[in-house]
Amino acid sequence: MLAYLVRRSAYGLFVVLGVIFFLFVLFFTVASPDDIARQAVGPKAMPEVIQQWKVNHGYHLPVWPGAGHLSDNLLVDHVQRMIAMDFGKSDADGVVIWERIRQGMWPSFFLTLPMFVIGMVASILTSLFVAFFRETYLDRWVVALSVLAMSIPTLLYIIFGQFIVGTLLRWFPVSGFDADPAVILRFLTLPVLIGVVSGLGSSVRFFRTVFLEEIHRDYVRTARAKGASEMRVMFYHVLRNSLVPILTQVVMEIPFLFTGSLLLEAGFGIPGLGAATFEAISANDFSTLRAMVFLGSLMFIVGQVLTDIGYTLVDPRIRLDA
Amino acid sequence: MMELSNSPSAQAMLSNGIVVSLLALGGLAARAVLRNELWRAAFARVLGLRRWSIVVLSLYVAVALLDSVVWVGGSMQSEDQVASFEARSVIDRLFVDTTEKGYSAPMARVEFYDKSPLLHPQRHLLGTNILGQDVLYVTLKGARVALLIGGLTSLITIPLALFFGMTAGYFGRRWDDLVFFVMSTLASMPGILLLIVLIMVLGKSTVSVCVALGVTSWVGFCRLSRGETLKLREMDYVSAARSLGVSHGKILLRHILPNLMHLVIITFVLLFSGLVLAEATLAWLGIGVDGSWGQMIAVAKDELSRDPVVWWNIVPAGAALFGLLLSVNLIGDALRDVLDPRTWGSQD
Amino acid sequence: MGIINTLHCCRVKGATWLAVIPGEPGAGSGEGPPGGICRPWVSNPRALRKDAHGPLGETWGSSPRATKQVFGFRLARDSFGPVVTSPWARAAKAVAVLLCCSQIGCSNNPYPDAHDQQKVLYLPFATPPKTLDPAISYGTADTVVTNKVFDTLLEYHYVKRPYELVPSMARTIPSAQRLQDGGVRYRFELHPDMWFEGDPCFSLSGQSAGPDGLPRRRVTAADFVFEIQRVADPLLASQVVETFARLRGFSEFRKRLDERRRDPAFARLRVEQQYRAAGEFEGARALDDHTLEITLTEAYPQILYWFAMPVTTPVPWEAAAYYTGENGRPPLTEYTVSTGPYVLTSYDKQARMVLSRNPQWWGLQHEREHLFPDVTGLPEVGDLLASVGKSLPFVDRIEYRREQESIPAFSKFLQGYYDMSGISRESFDKVVREGGLSEEMKQKGMSLSRSVEPGVYYIAFNLEDAVVGSKAGDRSRLLRQAMSLVIDVKEYLRLFANGRGVPAHSPIPPGLFGYDAAYKNPFRTPNLERARALLVEAGYPGGIDPSTKQPLHLTFDVADTTAEGQVRYMFWVNQWRKLGLNVELAATNYNQFYAKMLKGSYQIYTWGWMADYPDPENFMFLLTTKMAHSVSGGPNNANFKNAEFDALFEQMRNRDNDAERARLIKAMLAILERERPWIELFYPEDYALVHGWLKNVRTVGLSTVCTAKYYDLDAAARARARAAWNKPIYWPAWLVLAALVLSIVPAVLTYRRERS
Repeated sequence: MLAYLVRRSAYGLFVVLGVIFFLFVLFFTVASPDDIARQAVGPKAMPEVIQQWKVNHGYHLPVWPGAGHLSDNLLVDHVQRMIAMDFGKSDADGVVIWERIRQGMWPSFFLTLPMFVIGMVASILTSLFVAFFRETYLDRWVVALSVLAMSIPTLLYIIFGQFIVGTLLRWFPVSGFDADPAVILRFLTLPVLIGVVSGLGSSVRFFRTVFLEEIHRDYVRTARAKGASEMRVMFYHVLRNSLVPILTQVVMEIPFLFTGSLLLEAGFGIPGLGAATFEAISANDFSTLRAMVFLGSLMFIVGQVLTDIGYTLVDPRIRLDA
Repeated sequence: MMELSNSPSAQAMLSNGIVVSLLALGGLAARAVLRNELWRAAFARVLGLRRWSIVVLSLYVAVALLDSVVWVGGSMQSEDQVASFEARSVIDRLFVDTTEKGYSAPMARVEFYDKSPLLHPQRHLLGTNILGQDVLYVTLKGARVALLIGGLTSLITIPLALFFGMTAGYFGRRWDDLVFFVMSTLASMPGILLLIVLIMVLGKSTVSVCVALGVTSWVGFCRLSRGETLKLREMDYVSAARSLGVSHGKILLRHILPNLMHLVIITFVLLFSGLVLAEATLAWLGIGVDGSWGQMIAVAKDELSRDPVVWWNIVPAGAALFGLLLSVNLIGDALRDVLDPRTWGSQD
Repeated sequence: MGIINTLHCCRVKGATWLAVIPGEPGAGSGEGPPGGICRPWVSNPRALRKDAHGPLGETWGSSPRATKQVFGFRLARDSFGPVVTSPWARAAKAVAVLLCCSQIGCSNNPYPDAHDQQKVLYLPFATPPKTLDPAISYGTADTVVTNKVFDTLLEYHYVKRPYELVPSMARTIPSAQRLQDGGVRYRFELHPDMWFEGDPCFSLSGQSAGPDGLPRRRVTAADFVFEIQRVADPLLASQVVETFARLRGFSEFRKRLDERRRDPAFARLRVEQQYRAAGEFEGARALDDHTLEITLTEAYPQILYWFAMPVTTPVPWEAAAYYTGENGRPPLTEYTVSTGPYVLTSYDKQARMVLSRNPQWWGLQHEREHLFPDVTGLPEVGDLLASVGKSLPFVDRIEYRREQESIPAFSKFLQGYYDMSGISRESFDKVVREGGLSEEMKQKGMSLSRSVEPGVYYIAFNLEDAVVGSKAGDRSRLLRQAMSLVIDVKEYLRLFANGRGVPAHSPIPPGLFGYDAAYKNPFRTPNLERARALLVEAGYPGGIDPSTKQPLHLTFDVADTTAEGQVRYMFWVNQWRKLGLNVELAATNYNQFYAKMLKGSYQIYTWGWMADYPDPENFMFLLTTKMAHSVSGGPNNANFKNAEFDALFEQMRNRDNDAERARLIKAMLAILERERPWIELFYPEDYALVHGWLKNVRTVGLSTVCTAKYYDLDAAARARARAAWNKPIYWPAWLVLAALVLSIVPAVLTYRRERS
């Protein structure tokens, strides 16, 4: 198994390199170092000011490798620094990027972790509940509600959620964030709630399908015949044996806990990594952007390897020496 | 990106041509389905299960088609002298010369804020927006945009994903590795980011948004078709065909592709709703397609805070979006229940 | 033993909410816990009397219902023996506890309750500052911090309009001293005994500690010179180099510094050592510790306005040497060492910025200079009289919170969590009725503060373009005049700005010399017939281009791709469509827009300009040939090149505000009227809503002015108002919960019936 994991990780690293290269190509097709400089310095600046900025930030090198500068260009520099995880400073305001990541990581985490945990628990419990009450009116209602819930864009959830809960009912502040422990719950409750509710529809549908598939299997009938309680059947037999597809879903989401949810952070004014990424795009801040994407893909690879390990723990039939 | 001729009559011909070819394609597909016993039974079942959803969806399609039949000409209007030189659709002409000066409530006689009398009192079923356009008109036009996004993007995505998935699963080894590598690379980049950067590259036109959405959503179906192809490759009749000397291409087209069609249909329908949702998000971020419901919502979201509330912009757009997504989701679910063998075990 | 069975074995005493677990009704499970520790819950106490036993010796009721496996919630008393709990019971209990707790903690107050009674000013900010370095900062987002922490030699009078300079760190406003060679000299006398805030950077020069334990030192004239040298420094890329190039020797100093830096040994020296080695220049000299001498190469009376902006604040060389961004210290773009009434104590620019009162502020010590100004005799100062003569600042702390969207920011303002706010378009009618506050707002004790800002928004033509530019001669001029005649700004302001704005007839806004309220530009009063006639004269009858037989096609380039922006631009496009002109809106992101500008491939665009300082020269220079984009990359993006206009500008720019200057300006406006490089839209009006507990608020319109030091705050009144306005409404939660429970009950009952 170790050999397999090592191979998998190596492959993953290849993918990350591919991502780095792809990002560089994509970005520099749209923007040139002049554009980055101009966004950073301001529209009223004179050309020599722009040139000076480029020299200060190392953007005066040619972008692509060419005759005479095969190793002295932005592409090579970019790849080298990414491998060394040396993100440097942000182009927009000169802040050290690792600092920015450190600061933004916590708000993102405070938002995505509760959302993930609560969402997972809520959808699994609801799906089990619905699978238990299959073919009754509850089942039909919940399925209908889930499809309904899936058909509403997250955008509308945020708008109406803020309007109803924040403005009309005045339960929580409409937006904002403060890490002070006395007030942090007030700020997080609404975004977490909306995040959970907007994702509940599709999760419940998915888990319900998975559970219903398991419930009709032979071993469940055997267990019931043996006299196991319904609860035991649901939690111990059905849930455990459905873990493989559930695990795929779950573990794949873990890496994105760090990168933050773009929409929720933008809508609720939470200064996390998702918001930082979005600002980097509009400000042409290439250094921050590449750092975020790099981290995102790294996390994705980590997630895939974790999923594979998880499979072996969860399903003894799966062995990773293929 | 693509340099379409700017002349309005050329645009009109293009648009009408697309309508005709779509109708023709639809006719051909319907004929193919009706010929085959199994397909006919399957679709009859779906029709029975989801009658209302199909009716609603057909309404949307009808409105979109009406909005795509365009021609140049017509009388000059006082407020807009340029319009008679542009290619206008049936819907445009139904609502010609209905512009007011600003907001007005549904079926009102006076303008909303300064209470001056309207030019067309009590003619606006859903009121008017800030530029004075009839809200019903703008909402109806959004149907075409939504169907275009969902349909066009799916038309790009699905053949692409099918091609790569089938060939990767069938031929295996190097090609499979390459395809898998590309898929993983794309999948590991955060979707919204990739989307935004792609649109920056390609520009803001409808086609570029569709291409960008396509590039970010083909991975899922590619994986699915690759998995299915891997299974199908081991089937007896495939090995039989190989031993008989049938070429790879024929095997792919004759044996594997038909067995993937049910997945294609299901994915098409479900992808459709996902894409329309994604476009709504893009509209909120400022890079959506002009005239879409997502854009209407993005513009109108602040109007909920006006006093008195201006609700007639966001509610029709939201309801139209919701209606489309709901009917498509319901139909997709029914299709999946009927066509996908993996869900047959848990049938009601 | 499975997980479920372990959970079975926990007890809860005295629970008021319990759930019954579905369990096997009889023998044969074989998986129960060993001997009698857990017992199933008994639903019917009477059932206990019957003598039923389970397989493990538990006491069960005989009625099958008592041992039914059900899902559901029931109340149970604990008195008949140990009761069993299940995961459902514990979950229910947890939910109940959470609900109770949330009732206590449910509040929409974004600040800790402990701060309720403190004299703190809460304000929102939308864009984070780009940089706090005074030599580089040039945007309105930066001035939020820089105008409060950086003090300058001069400042604007808080109330007097037209704007008037008053001395601040300087003792008096110096008068211009004409020199033999055409130059002009100003001599500033500084107050003695002004200190920088205590900061670890002063350990570099071995200063002793001040009252807060950190080393500090006095402000000298050399610190002002150091800052001007920093502006000259090519490495810092300051944006105001053009202005300061008027200082004698400034550009030469810049070149010298650049040349000497090529020597690596020189480049390794500390910054202030480099400046000293490059040699001082005559333009900015410190004659002694308290005298600063500025020498200009030519007359430029507006230089005094620049000494009221943070770009000329004193900067200690120790700060530049210490805060370089290395060794774990922040760079000067993220850190301030300042002399102002407030100091920056907390800076998380993505979320929160805190400014605290500076106890070492020099203004506290000069009892006669830095009190609230004497405003008696000026118009509309009733609310300020109570503060006249009192020591500034009044507020202890200013807290800024990031608000990217205007609606949530305004909601929080209405709830009392911000003290001041602009008014968004959507909320305007709720707030303002017929030019004054609405009843609802008056009842909340608010007041409205409004003023016209010294700025102008305009639509401009690219005069290098083939169709709309000067190459096409009279034809394009008539076209521009026609397009200008059809633009109705009043309607635009009504729809998009609630009427906030003054329609503009010239580039010079009110409050500045040269503005004439009675002047009406004949091409800025909408007249559709005349516009149509002009188009016929221009050779585009009905808007049709005779060469293509189609409506004339023009492009309107904008750098804003958002949907909200597009609605605004479509308004202008629709107005031109009335003439029959097919104007296409080309919205791109900023990069592509700028690329178009560079290439010159744009026809019509829209822009705005806010005054740096209140002088008409700051607006008129935007239309001179020297500043044309195609000539020098300057801000004259309309590429307006008119020799007559340039000649008049040269005469007018350095004059004092006399009758001759007014005449020159009138002549320049007449040229603009005819040539129409710009379609002047409006001067923006700033409306600010102020809560009743915030006093002494005036809007100044120039972002570099620190107004916060004059504000006063009644914290107790604010706490009372917040409590009254923010009572949460709880009943919907209970309703939803009840609905959920009710919807489950029939299923539960059905289940019980079915499985029996």
